[in-house]
Order: sequence, then structure tokens, then C-alpha cells
Amino acid sequence: MSKQALSNIRVIDLTRFIAGPYCTKLLAGFGAEVIKIEMPKNGDGLRNVEPFYKNEQGVEHSIPFLWFNTGKKSITLNLKSSQGIEIIKRLVKTADVLVENFSPGVMMRLGLDYETLKSINPKLIMASISNFGQSGPYRDFKADEIELQALSGLMDNTGAPDMPPLAAGPALCQLTAAMHSHAAILMALLQRNRSGEGRYVDVSIMESSMEQIENRINTYLLTGKVSKRGPHIFAPWGLYGCQDGYVNVISAPFRHWENGAEIFEEPRLREHQFQHLRERVQHRQEIDALIQPWLDKKKKQQVFKAGQEKGLSFGFLANFDEVLDSPQHRERGFFKSVEHPAVGAQLFCDAPFKMSATPWHTAASPRLGEHNDVIFGSVLGYSDEERRQWAAQGVI
Amino acid sequence: MGRAGGDIVSVMPLQGIRVVDMTHSWAGPHCTRVLADYGAEVIRVEFPGRLCMFRGGRVEDQAYDKQTNWYQINRNKHSVTLDLNESLDQGLLKDLVKCSDIFIENSRPGVLEKFGFAYNDLVKLNPTIVMLSMSAFGSYGPYTKYCAYGAVMEAVGGIQSLTAYGPDGKPQRICEMDVVNGVGAANAILTALLYREESGEGQRIDFSQTEFPTHALIGEHLLEHSINGSHRPPQGNRHHEFAPQGCYPCLGNDEWVALTIRCEEEWRGLCKALGQTGWLNNNELAKPEGRQHMHAELDAEISTWTRQRSPKDAMQLLQSHGIPAAAVLDVSELDSDPHLQAREFFLTEEQPPGQRFMGMPFHLSGIPEAVHWRGPDLGEYNAELVTKVLKRNEEDTPSFEAEKLCTAYD
Repeated sequence: MSKQALSNIRVIDLTRFIAGPYCTKLLAGFGAEVIKIEMPKNGDGLRNVEPFYKNEQGVEHSIPFLWFNTGKKSITLNLKSSQGIEIIKRLVKTADVLVENFSPGVMMRLGLDYETLKSINPKLIMASISNFGQSGPYRDFKADEIELQALSGLMDNTGAPDMPPLAAGPALCQLTAAMHSHAAILMALLQRNRSGEGRYVDVSIMESSMEQIENRINTYLLTGKVSKRGPHIFAPWGLYGCQDGYVNVISAPFRHWENGAEIFEEPRLREHQFQHLRERVQHRQEIDALIQPWLDKKKKQQVFKAGQEKGLSFGFLANFDEVLDSPQHRERGFFKSVEHPAVGAQLFCDAPFKMSATPWHTAASPRLGEHNDVIFGSVLGYSDEERRQWAAQGVI
Repeated sequence: MGRAGGDIVSVMPLQGIRVVDMTHSWAGPHCTRVLADYGAEVIRVEFPGRLCMFRGGRVEDQAYDKQTNWYQINRNKHSVTLDLNESLDQGLLKDLVKCSDIFIENSRPGVLEKFGFAYNDLVKLNPTIVMLSMSAFGSYGPYTKYCAYGAVMEAVGGIQSLTAYGPDGKPQRICEMDVVNGVGAANAILTALLYREESGEGQRIDFSQTEFPTHALIGEHLLEHSINGSHRPPQGNRHHEFAPQGCYPCLGNDEWVALTIRCEEEWRGLCKALGQTGWLNNNELAKPEGRQHMHAELDAEISTWTRQRSPKDAMQLLQSHGIPAAAVLDVSELDSDPHLQAREFFLTEEQPPGQRFMGMPFHLSGIPEAVHWRGPDLGEYNAELVTKVLKRNEEDTPSFEAEKLCTAYD
């Protein structure tokens, strides 16, 4: 395997479910040693979340778990035991980063707050990811994904204008927080290179998600204008029906529209009120009515290619079979078969981006406690006898 | 004190990092905004022959310097104008590459090559440069020359197929591919910088704006499809497992509250909050399957209750019963939100003073958070670029003729 960008970084991963695990998956894929700490027997709660491999529930069968934990090591440790806490502290001495996404206050109760860990390892970077951050009146509010989308302003801006606000299908807020946590940790590592010091990182899923609507929030702050869900400000700029599905008709880059619009075989589109975007946005319905007859006669791929050949940003709504079979993804090797002992070889999205010198690597997600021996034994130097005792006591 | 605690230190995470920013539109500039916000010196290179679309569609009255979204997306950066059709300006850019750390662009593959700024050209000028290209589909492959805005990446990537009001509803867009790609590209650069600081090596990053959001947002769903041969269709505001979940109308016009019941304890909390003692005694409703079965009836009762309350009152009351519930906030309510105020989330611009801006997406202890200045005026850094950064003669300062400026809308 090629050299990797983060191969000298050790991460203690106390995260569960989505926001933390996607962050540490990204670190692991670029070479960091991510040691995932799981509760004995059940592990990360995500291991019990469907869908499962062949719809058979099992601690190694959760598809979300298999996705979000590629390339990590798993050890089991009971954080409710004092021995478990001692072991974590020993691991902290050797680590660069610790990431957690417990409810605010839990790490303090466990005796693993930043001040304590900093006294053990002043160079440690500790990142806490939580729904609303470590302070403020919503700190202890309960939230699932839809509540995060509601309070971050995303939901009010998603859906159709005459309909209720709509939740995004993907776990958008938790994943957005994961990306920002990834950024925060890399920033803190770079800062450590300059200052020699560790840092504490506070990521609020709500705040980091607000980035998604930075323009809308900013427009309000500067002008008082409140944006809502509705059509795109430009025209045409949207999803239209065609013979076998939906296509994107996007009138940009704007300089290509005048010629590009010829594909619709509709001479009236040459009239002056459709030439410049300034006028087009005043004539949305007319344009839609003029382009729809041509779209109705065409298939997705025909529309996509016809627009692109005119230099316009046209597209089509791909279903998952089309995504998995995409000629672009095939040529770029975007999907990769990864072997896992419990589920066999399966197709994963591979690199999120391609680095020429230090490429991404997708390795299977770990089985629960798969790395107990190597971490407790070789890395931390505990004896076989100690480990047997702890296993019997339910510590590991 | 920093917002994440700790005494303020003077060393920003990206202090001493210079970024040549050749990007336009949103995703690329969002990436460099993240870098600028955390201390990088970002020099945005602008082409007077076609200004960024975020500079708007008019050149009269210097309208291009008065665009509100430009202020946000390009805050804390510098602007220089270069016309790469001119050899003097090409030379200036080459000199800038020599003394920079990062070169980032989001043009169609092949465009910068034409002007002599492909990766192979850059490494001759600066062997440790990190170059990131963020085109729509990546630097090779059958779609490589195709162009795409966020709407197309979302659709062609398959992401959009997961969001609709129901399994057969028209797919809706989510917010916001450009920001997802901007953050992802920033992380690619940070990863390459860490490696460079350890090894002394630069590299080239091929960032496809279709691949990254696919990976980030639907990787698990694609894996489900490839393993099990199918995946869950869009659920609207419902949840495949938890019930009830939804977005319920409140007192007023377009006012809503979202809630989710994930376990029996939360269900009992909801029964109590709504005064539905009959539900408490219904054994069928104690189980999620029973509640899924009765979802429409539960929704009707919940709506009757929420219609009598404001979203925030409903949220507070439901939360006090241990239920995940949230007011659906619009942008004006975010501005006045007490939680964000208590966390001092919003920032006030330093120069000129007074204007409020979005705060930072994450907080590092001891690291100051500031909007030093809004998105810069066109060519505001031209003189400094030549004299301070490149240490060349003042007469090499690039200039542009206001009457020859063109916008992205022309």
C-alpha cells in the first residue's frame, strides 16, 4: 500500500452512530490509526440499526455500521468501570486525537474531561461533537436528525413553497457536522505543529449545519430579507419531467443559453424576453411551457447529453442502479469491492477525493473487539492474565 | 477566552499558509473561506473579462463591490485582478505560485492547462505546491468536460432521489451541494498540508464535486443498495422506524414544530404532554409498529394540539417531557435565537465595524474567531500583491478598465 497522509496520527474514537463515526472514517481512510472504543457485548449502538445484511439482524450485519467504520480498529471497554477509565487514560498518553459525541456532561462524569486529559497529555486534541454544543440553553435538548434540520434553518428552506418544510433524506446535519469535525481536527493538528500544544474542539451540529444556508442567513443579516423554500432564483433552473424520469435544465453558464436553447426546437425561445436572465426570471411559467413539449419526447440521457454538448449544465436524476453503473464512476474506480468476514465482498464508495501522493484506502470495518489483543497487549503492554481477568469482570 | 475556552493564542491554525484561489461561484470560494477564516492568506485571482457570478450582473456604480453574498463567501480574503491572456499578468501569477503553498481551481479540466498552469507547470515553479482541482466530475472520465452546478451534482450523483414528500413524490433539492463540496475540498487541502509538513512533499488533488457529496451523504444508502439490491424510498417527514415523527403546524402562518418518538419512554412523555391518557393505556400504541400503523390518526391529534401553540412553546413543553422536538426556524429566527446568542455565535465585522456575520462552524480553544473584513472590493490587493508579496516594481501593478469589465451574466 502507498504511504498515507495521516499514518503517524493515532485517534481514540469514543463516537457512536453517525456524526462522529463519519469524521473518524475520513481520518482512517487517509491513514490515521483510529481505535474505536465500544461497549463490551453490544458495541456502538449503530450495530443494532437497520438495514442489515440480507435483513438478518446481527452485531456485524448493520449496513450503516459497515459503512461508517471502515478502516478502524475496534476494542471493547466498559467506561462504567474504573479499570476501563484507567485503560483509556493510558491510551490517551499515546494518542494525538480523542473524539467523542456523548451528550454534553458525560465525559465530565466519566472523569475524562479535557482538563483531566490535558494533564495526562498536553498535546492531545480533544474534539466533542454534540447536537447544540457544550453550552447554551439548548445544550441538553433531545434531538434526532429531523429536529437538527429544523433548528438549524435547513428544513424551512427545503421542500415546496405550498407544502410543509421537508426533512432531507440523508442525515444531512449529522454528516455536515462530521465534515466540520474532520476540518476542525486537521486544523488543530496543523496548529499543534506551530504551537506544540493540544486544543479542545467544540462542534455544535446545529451551528455547523447552518453553514449550508450561509447565503440565506447572510442575506437576512445584511438586508432583512427572509428566504423560504421555493424555486431557484434563476430560470430555467430546475428538475423537469421527461419521457423516462426527471432531468435538470439549467440555463448556465448563462453565456451558453442563447445558442443552447436551440435544442428545444422552439423558435419562440429566441424572443427578447427569454434572452437575458434578468427577463427570464420574470417569465418562468412561459419558459417551462415552451421547453416541456420537447422534454416529453426525450429520454434522460438524450437531454443530459444534448445540453452538455451545448456547454450547458444539464443533468438527470439518477436512480441507484444508474449510480452504481455510471460510466464516469466506473472509469474512475469510485466503487471498490471490500471483503468483510461476516458479509463477504461488497461494493463501497472508495475515495472521497483522489490524492496523488497519499491515496485513500477503504479497509473493512472492524468486528466488535477485533483488535483487543493487539491494542491491550502489544500497544499498551497489559499481560494476558490481566486481560483474561478483565474479560471475566466485563471490563473489556 | 475563546468560544471553546482557553486563553487566546496568537498562532492561527493556518498562519503562514498562502493560497492562490483561482475558483469562482460558490463551492471553491466556500473552501477558501474556511481556510481564510482559520488564518490562511487567501488571494482570490479574478478575471476582469468575466467576473464571478457572485459579483452580480451589473458593473454600473461598482455594483460588483456591493453584493451581499460576495461579502459572506469571500470574507477575510484578498482580491487581485489578473488577465491570463496578458503575458505580464501570467508572469505575476507565476511569481505568486513560487511563494505560495496552495493553488486551488474549479475550472473545466483543461482550461488552466491552456494558460500554462497545469500541475506539471506549477511544480516546476514550486516543487512543494499543493494543487487542488475541483471540477464537476473529476479530472478524467467520460464526463470530465461536462459542467455542473449543484443541482446537477445532486441529481446525477443520485443524492436527490432520497428526498421527497413521499415514496412517489417529485424529488426535492436539499441544502447545499456547494457547501458540502467546499468543506470537503478544504479537508483535502488540510490533509495534504499535514502530509507536506511531515514529508516536505506537495501533491495534486483531484476532487470531483459529484463524488464527494455522494460519498458524504449517501454512501450508506448506496452500500445498502449494492448489498441488498434495494433501498428505502423517500419517507417525507416520517421515519422508517420511529413513530410518530413529523412536522406539525403551529399557531400562525407557516409556523411548524418537528418531533420524533424513538422509544416507549418518549411515547409516554408525549401522551402526558398532550393529555392523551387513552393512548397511554393502549398496548398496541406502546410499540413502534402499532404507532406506525396508526400514524395518520396520531398526526391528526398531534396537529390539533400544536395548532394551539407557537413552535417555541410547543418545543419547550415537549422537551420538558423528554421528547425530541424542535421549532422549525427561519433565517430571521436564527438571528434572534437565544441559544445562538448565549453562545455568542454571530460575529461583528471589524473593518468597517458593525455589520453582523455568521460565526464559525466549529470552535478551537484559544483560537480567536473574527470576520476581519467582508468580501473584498475587486482588485483591492493589486498593489500589495506586486510590492509586498512579490516584491516587484510598483509599475507592474495589474489594473482593469471599469468600462471593459464583463459579468458572468453577460
